[in-house]
Amino acid sequence: MDERELELFFGPQHMGMVGNFSITLKVRGDRVVEARANPGYLHRGFAKMMEYRVWIQNFPLVCRINVMDPDPYELIYAMGVEELAGIEVPERAKYIRTIVMELSRLASHLAWIWAYGNALGFDTIGQWSMGDRDYIIDLLEFLTGGRIYHIYIWPGGVRRDLPDGFEEKTLKILDTLEGHLPEYDDVFFNNRLFVTRARGVAKITKEEAIELGATGQVLRATGVKMDIRKLEPYAAYPYLDFEIPVREDGDSYSRMMLIREEMDQSISIIRQCFKKMPKGPVYHRVPNPFKWKVPKGETYVRMESARGELGLYMVSTGEDKPYRVHFRPPSLPHGILILEKLLKGASIADVGHIMMSLYIAAPEVDR
Amino acid sequence: MKIMDREENLREEILSVFKNTEVSSPKRKRLTVITEKALISEVMKFLKDRGFKQLCAISCIDWIEEKEFELIYHLSSFESGIHAMVKTKIDRENPVMKSMIPVFTNAQTYEREIWEMFGVQFEGNPRLIPLFLDRWRDIPPFRKDFDIREYVKRTFDVIPSLEEKQNG
Amino acid sequence: MDRGKISKWLKYPEKMGHKYSLWAIYFATGCGIMEIPPVLTSRWDAERFGVLPAATPRQANLFLITGYVSVKTLRPIVRTYELMREPKYTVGFGSCPINGGMYWDSYNTIKRVDKYIPIDGWIAGCMPRPESIFIAVTKLWMMIDKGAATGYIRYRENYRYYRENQERILGKLDWPPLYPEKMGEDNG
Repeated sequence: MDERELELFFGPQHMGMVGNFSITLKVRGDRVVEARANPGYLHRGFAKMMEYRVWIQNFPLVCRINVMDPDPYELIYAMGVEELAGIEVPERAKYIRTIVMELSRLASHLAWIWAYGNALGFDTIGQWSMGDRDYIIDLLEFLTGGRIYHIYIWPGGVRRDLPDGFEEKTLKILDTLEGHLPEYDDVFFNNRLFVTRARGVAKITKEEAIELGATGQVLRATGVKMDIRKLEPYAAYPYLDFEIPVREDGDSYSRMMLIREEMDQSISIIRQCFKKMPKGPVYHRVPNPFKWKVPKGETYVRMESARGELGLYMVSTGEDKPYRVHFRPPSLPHGILILEKLLKGASIADVGHIMMSLYIAAPEVDR
Repeated sequence: MKIMDREENLREEILSVFKNTEVSSPKRKRLTVITEKALISEVMKFLKDRGFKQLCAISCIDWIEEKEFELIYHLSSFESGIHAMVKTKIDRENPVMKSMIPVFTNAQTYEREIWEMFGVQFEGNPRLIPLFLDRWRDIPPFRKDFDIREYVKRTFDVIPSLEEKQNG
Repeated sequence: MDRGKISKWLKYPEKMGHKYSLWAIYFATGCGIMEIPPVLTSRWDAERFGVLPAATPRQANLFLITGYVSVKTLRPIVRTYELMREPKYTVGFGSCPINGGMYWDSYNTIKRVDKYIPIDGWIAGCMPRPESIFIAVTKLWMMIDKGAATGYIRYRENYRYYRENQERILGKLDWPPLYPEKMGEDNG
């Protein structure tokens, strides 16, 4: 059969695309010969804008880098400022930060289950997981006052203590969520349609994953037990007992199952935090934020966001504004080189599905 | 101190091999290597053989007063958990750097970003094409002499709204 | 359906049809898209209001500009808007399309979207709550009833103004004008 090579534009306005992202595919028949990721539809130039704002003004900015998982960005920026300025964080604030991180991870994973389910045609699971995500968003709203963007974490701690009744409400919602998870397994994760569709698709080996800069689920699905929460514990993670789920196959299925297994761990971490949390202050006072000059220096801080290693390299020249801020988002390597590599040879029907399985957040790639 | 042993050993090892290189370990699990432009790929290869298997990111700083760009290669080791920063400075007037793709494949994207945002040329990178910006016509935006507020005024704010246009 | 509306249905069937089948184009232009899934799914269920996501611009008549618009996104937005059939309604969602919002000094985001495509209504806030989408939808119903949602007519009348602004930011556009007859005369 005579087959021509065609160029196919996938996105940004496309039903199979989550977020504003585009891929240019070269296809022969329904096989992808070559894929070129084309990001930049969400580029806002955060690093540059942050150089124009004083240290504290940057907090409302950084959380907007990734709308699906905003809290890790607040925390990492706070960690960077704390390290430059030499501020200690009170114990209680560390636990509260950990709770916020894990709630954000849960919300992000639930949103992704919706997206992934929709991409594969499982509508039911999406209706459930989005409903459950809203419980968590309500919790965060109760805690911080904002549904999506919280601006709750500050250098030196968190903005205010947990409100009355937060613990009971959270534990109740975690119980509900834990009760729903086996139903998720029945309808989606153990569903034969999902398993046959995802198993063996978009395989990546351990060596390739490391070489191409993979972190998070993409790397852990290939058998590397790498998680910054264990490698270089921050916040309250050193005091907590949790597992890092790892799989060996490196395919779509393993990556998605890791997301599912991490949700169990997050629920357990939040429960432990409530048990172990000491009483006490939740922030150390910082100097007048509008005149605050952070001492000269540079720092690289890193943490595990929902998608992988999030890094921040920040340079201060002793002024009231940062001199240079550089984020290392986990989705950047996943969204360009790894995506292009995995799409080669895939069928067109799998393109959206492979992109979802890599857990790519387009706003994070572009910044 | 016992826990700093690995960093200390690495420091001595690097210093014994490379000249004109400064190595320090500002805190636990951090290593800073400052070296000259020509040695960068050798240092990176050396570190790669010692467990630093992943290139996390490449940062660039525009030191406008010194007329220099500083490039920072972030390497990460999963075995020891150390994060290493390999730094070098290049000329700002004629910013050219050798591409690190032969050592780390994923340098491609990071170099592409720096090429677009700072205008640093990476020799040997086959894919220096715009990554984020759409038909950018000004100087690279992350340079310190690019004033975003002035740019916004002269690009977006001068366009009249429909009412202004209709009322003359 | 309420009986009082039957006469209205008989009198203006097209208006009622547009009102109760607002199909929103599936285009995630910015971070506002994060509030769309909850709106579409079990908790808020936008289908009660006749709002559904539509995969292709040809079948959609509602364009929700969800969040900031970068220069690179403006091109597909204009293209998508021009592909939609009339009557079409646009709603700016969030602070950023109104005046740049958070990104008022970013070199890569459009500050006022209504300089490039006409907007029928705005939802302010960052991020607006899902309820506000329903308020916007009911408001849009009222506007359609009164014949006030005239963005697409404004676009046709002032096509040259819009096209010139688009080309000022994006450079020469590589598709022909939607209303070539409007390009020659001076309507400014």
